[in-house]
Amino acid sequence: MGTLLAIDEVNEAGGIDGREIIPVHYDPQSSPGLYRVLAERLVLEDKINVIFGCYMSSTRKAVIPIIEKWNRLLFYPTLYEGFECSSNIVYTGAAPNQNSVQLAEFMTTNYGVRTYLVGSDYIYPYESNRIMTDLVLQRRGGEKVGERYVPLNATEEDFRSIIADIKNKQPDFIFSTVVGNATACLYRAYADAGLNPRTMPIASLTTLEAEIAQMGADVGAGHVSAAPYFQSIATPRNLESLEKFKRRFGSDVVPNAGWEAAYFQVHLFANAMRLSGSDAIDALMPNLLGSEFDAPQGRVRIDPSNHHTCLYPRIGIVNGSGQFTVVRQAIRAVHPDPYLITHSLGDWTISLDTPK
Amino acid sequence: MVVQRNTTSELLRSLRTLSVAVFHPADEDGEELLLQLRRIGCHAQAFWPPAPRLPEGADVVFIAVRPDTAVPNWSEDRHTAAPTVIAIVNYENPTIVEMVVKLEVHGIVPSPIRAFGLMSALVVARQIRNSRTALTKQVQRLESKLAGVRHVAEAKAILMRARNVSEPDAYQIIRDQAMAKRTTVEHMAYAIVSANDILFR
Repeated sequence: MGTLLAIDEVNEAGGIDGREIIPVHYDPQSSPGLYRVLAERLVLEDKINVIFGCYMSSTRKAVIPIIEKWNRLLFYPTLYEGFECSSNIVYTGAAPNQNSVQLAEFMTTNYGVRTYLVGSDYIYPYESNRIMTDLVLQRRGGEKVGERYVPLNATEEDFRSIIADIKNKQPDFIFSTVVGNATACLYRAYADAGLNPRTMPIASLTTLEAEIAQMGADVGAGHVSAAPYFQSIATPRNLESLEKFKRRFGSDVVPNAGWEAAYFQVHLFANAMRLSGSDAIDALMPNLLGSEFDAPQGRVRIDPSNHHTCLYPRIGIVNGSGQFTVVRQAIRAVHPDPYLITHSLGDWTISLDTPK
Repeated sequence: MVVQRNTTSELLRSLRTLSVAVFHPADEDGEELLLQLRRIGCHAQAFWPPAPRLPEGADVVFIAVRPDTAVPNWSEDRHTAAPTVIAIVNYENPTIVEMVVKLEVHGIVPSPIRAFGLMSALVVARQIRNSRTALTKQVQRLESKLAGVRHVAEAKAILMRARNVSEPDAYQIIRDQAMAKRTTVEHMAYAIVSANDILFR
């Protein structure tokens, strides 16, 4: 949806040197196998040079062999666990040094140093939890009191024993790397157990506006998330994009950080293609690397050395209307460091400001 | 999958402190290798052709093995503090593989270089190098221990003959002497064996 909005904007403004962008779209149904087949179809049958998309790491990994084999370009808008740098990808979501560190700093400063980790059973949660554990153990008295994984399609039933264990161990906060529909189940199971987000909130990098809308604001209120973008950012630039989006797609679709990255990466592409006059990767890449754009979150820039994006980490707490009240935000864009193994708290790059 | 781990291992955590010497021609492949090493966070510097001696200060050495460039003979520099060595190969024929075998590398990276796979190759090569070093040190320790035991046995036999004492008494004599001279029993035994060689042979 972010992608389509940006394509509309580019076309309304006269396209790329008078040429209209026409998207070709397939639904891979979250299946890595389908992602691979459809990516190859885009390349071979539809003669596509630039692909926008992929969500879970497994789907990105499925597409990489195709785009590398045919030398095509992929824009990947999702936060992920880092440790990758394909010459054929531009990564516009947050790397762990742009969200995990800030979240750990905020949680351990404001709630306490004992954490309980709950995640979906796949690679992103394993790596995120490794980082969170490392960060929490840097604090005096820091402790991981539990680490549990649930299936990707987990239901409220799967969380009952975990919530009971949490009630028993009384951590200072819970770190959730649960993704998808299971997210709402975790927060609901938490609410049903009568736990209090004021004293023991769930912290997450993946529970954003869409997930809150699914679980209901009453269930989500008080829990904490970190992301470079929240809908509630009150800048004219963001309000303008949201307004346009609502006019085009109605208010059923919920913009979040993934939406924003999907949106600004199309503009980065369009600007690069205006300069190169071609959508071939070898012509685009020199114009993409180092390029900047005024995105809804702030002015972003693609780091030429690692193909990831300089972003603005923020911490939000869910409020009564299902939006995030931004309580901390980066003073300047934080450079991506996708190969950082040992993150540290108190690094100057993570310093966050309380918004006025 | 069950992840049972509390802290990240030293092999991974030390990646950002590594100083890496790269012997590779300054071409696209060399660029990609340097770039990826710097993304990983290593302090990497490139040189070509390979130095005749294995660099002292480096933790890791990458060396391109090329059919047209002689492989340096580093065998004399391979002591226990020597760096991890990783070969980069663009051919896989027996001539090249033979050159790699002669280099006694800890790992191998194929050319053209891809960013993906380099970090794993680097970490595993360091693990192999570290465990090889640990084993070498252990063997050295055991060898000297074994030599010590042999000397003590020999020294006891000498004393039993010369002073007509029992085996426990012979040992006690060696031990007392070692105590008095502030040295080890093994060392004292070695002195007795050497003296015996000089005096009575």
